[in-house]
Order: sequence, then C-alpha cells, then structure tokens
Amino acid sequence: MTARNTGADGAASERTAGPDQVPLRQDQGPPRPDQVPMGPVHAPPVRPEQAQVRRWPVDAQLPLGARPARNAVIGAGVIGYAWWLGGTTPFSTKALLGVLLPGAVLGVIAYARPPERIPPPESVDVAGFSYWVICIALLFEWEASAVRDNSPPGHPSLTDLITPLIGPHPIKAAAIVVWLLAGWALVRR
Amino acid sequence: MTTRTVTIIGFVAVIAALVTLEILGRRKIARIPTVSEWLGYVMRPRAGRAIILAGWLWLGWHYFAR
Repeated sequence: MTARNTGADGAASERTAGPDQVPLRQDQGPPRPDQVPMGPVHAPPVRPEQAQVRRWPVDAQLPLGARPARNAVIGAGVIGYAWWLGGTTPFSTKALLGVLLPGAVLGVIAYARPPERIPPPESVDVAGFSYWVICIALLFEWEASAVRDNSPPGHPSLTDLITPLIGPHPIKAAAIVVWLLAGWALVRR
Repeated sequence: MTTRTVTIIGFVAVIAALVTLEILGRRKIARIPTVSEWLGYVMRPRAGRAIILAGWLWLGWHYFAR
C-alpha cells in the first residue's frame, strides 16, 4: 500500500506497507477472496529518501518550536532549578552540588546520548582567530593583575565587580539560566 | 579619575572589543570567526571539548557556588 502522510514538518512523505500487510488500493474497495495472496507479501524496496524520512527518532529532526508542550516543561524545569540554585547559600554543599549536577547531566548526555551536533568548521582564519586570543589574553591578564593584588577596592577583579551585580535573586537565577543554556549549546558543538 | 575607574574602564574596553569581534564575525568582515565557529573548531578534538566544558563548569562554580 502506498499512502501519503503529512508529517509534523509539513512535508509529505510516502509510507510503504510492512511485509505482514496486504497491499490494498483504496479506489477498488476491499479485496475479493480470490485477490488475497496466500503467501508472504513483500513490500517494494524502500528508496533511500524514504528511509531517511522514517529514520528513528523522527522527532529529532523537528524544528525547535515543533513540540511546544515539551519545550515548555523543560523551560519551566530549567527556570525552577535556576531559581532554587540562586537561593542556595554560597559555599554550601547544596550550592556546590547544584552546580555539579548540571555538569554531570550534560556530561552523561554528551557521551552516552549525544544530541545532533552542529558541524564545526574545517578551519578558522588564523589572523581572525588571533584577535580573539589577544582580547581573551588581555581579559585574563587584567583579571590576574587584580587577583594578584588581592582585589583591593582601587583595583577590583572582574569577579568582585560581577558578584554584586548578580546578587539579587532574580538576576542570579537569570544568570544561571544563561549558564545552563550555554552548557547545552557547548554540548551541541 | 581613580584607579578603580581605570580598572573598570579596562574591563569594559576588553569586553566591548570581544563584542565587536563577534559583530564583525557575524558580518563576515576580515574573516574573523564568530564565537560559535572558533569554539566549534577548538572543540573538535576530545581534549578541546573536555577543556571547554570544564571551563564552563568552573565558571558556574565560581559565580554560583561561591
């Protein structure tokens, strides 16, 4: 049987019957007894493009907004977790485990069940990349010079400047959400 | 101008330079790679991937657990 279905992505795809099904044509009604084959019926060979369509898991090919309910549940979970983690006491075991848990989860996902990764470039321009290296080195040097002096008020480190900014609970929770999303983006690289 | 102000201006200047590089990279100017591109390139070997993910974890510990 050849049927035309419309998938979640809006593209039409053809499905072929399995080997245990009798080929039917809808425009001819039910088959007469003399039309029913007695032996095994072999489905026509699946073309490569059909195999691509039927590849499991099919939902892995869906765009980001194709499963709003699932995305909403995951988003609510991430925000709730960030809110909880943002409320933990600094230097506490809860805070430490709260940071290590997402790392462990992402590590397991990255190695046991990796998501579809974004293909990396074959090469990057050396001169262009060197600009990044210079700026990042400058940032680290500027930070290290402050840390070396124990971050006095006249020469604060970036950490001492940022920590008060993310002090309020909602802002800290938002920063944690950004951090979690960055981790997921890194796993997909 | 206090030394604190100079320090803050230094940080802001470097971060602004990083943002500028990202903008130039997205506009495909001077073949500057975007963060996504060079991170992807650095993370091609397993060691690079592990180092970048460890850096991400350290960042979370540094700002959210301390």
